[in-house]
Amino acid sequence: MDIPIEDREYSGPAHRLPLDDALSGPFDVIEELSTLMIDAAEGTNQTTGAAGITSTTARRPFADVARNNLDRLYGYCVHLSGDRMDAEDLLQDTLIRAMRAYDGLRDQAAVKTWLFTVATNCARDRWRARGREPGTVPLDASDADEFSLFATIAIEDPFPYSDALHLDFLRLFEDEDIQAVFTTMTPAFCGPILLTTIHGFSCKEAAGILEIPLGTLLSRLHRGRKQLERGLWEYAVRRHLVTVSEEP
Amino acid sequence: MIDCPEAVRRMWAYLGAALEPAPTSELEVHLSVCKRCCGELEFSRELRGLVAATTTPVMPEELRSRVEHLLGIGPPESPTDD
Repeated sequence: MDIPIEDREYSGPAHRLPLDDALSGPFDVIEELSTLMIDAAEGTNQTTGAAGITSTTARRPFADVARNNLDRLYGYCVHLSGDRMDAEDLLQDTLIRAMRAYDGLRDQAAVKTWLFTVATNCARDRWRARGREPGTVPLDASDADEFSLFATIAIEDPFPYSDALHLDFLRLFEDEDIQAVFTTMTPAFCGPILLTTIHGFSCKEAAGILEIPLGTLLSRLHRGRKQLERGLWEYAVRRHLVTVSEEP
Repeated sequence: MIDCPEAVRRMWAYLGAALEPAPTSELEVHLSVCKRCCGELEFSRELRGLVAATTTPVMPEELRSRVEHLLGIGPPESPTDD
């Protein structure tokens, strides 16, 4: 059985809320968030008090759910946007949208996956608003597909006296360096890498978050990895972390 | 048997243990006879580990307290006061 290699265009999220106001600035965003929190708190009281309409499993308040996932969501936002200020806005967009949609969430067990889905959709909208189209996949990506960091390190032999070339190469990279390489990657390829490594989602879960078929996820994961490999090598060459015969 | 490019293509998913049984065994058959791909797999494992161990950036305290204050809202502090 073969994994489909062809990629598909992103077809858009299942549902979307207009959020123009959220783009106007962080302070408006915070204010709106607080209003929503109060609305929600009142709404919950009314529902349980009057009609007693509650699901069979106890529903945790959105505040608890959000607080438990705040750190990883923030980390995901920074990696997606590559910029602390952008990440702050993205996190706030995410919390507002999640707050609005929380009542419609059926599966409480999948709340972490769901929050990442919301963050992904928010990031996508922000990219769109700036004229970037994150769902599209560059056609010349087949070129990156051929690159092998493993082979490149062996051929270029950047540490002539090392007997653990490949490990020595990887040891060059601090967290900030890897983050810098993430920002050079195509978002459609970077997402699968972030979700399945740093954030510990399975490929199936990551496919759900990105709203793409599993086959497409696997294909993008591979292409993302190739882009990451090339990005790491080029970063190392550019920063003169390795000595090479001639620069590409 | 799958070839080297196909074996390499399946490695990250393999390391994430996300493939169906059939593709996994095909990859393992390939690895049993291909020394180069074994090296590539080892390197993939290290690289994947490096990325996975990347610590996510720490949230600024100022942002955390702003957001947490709002999330843990108790008495409304007249947020729509203007």
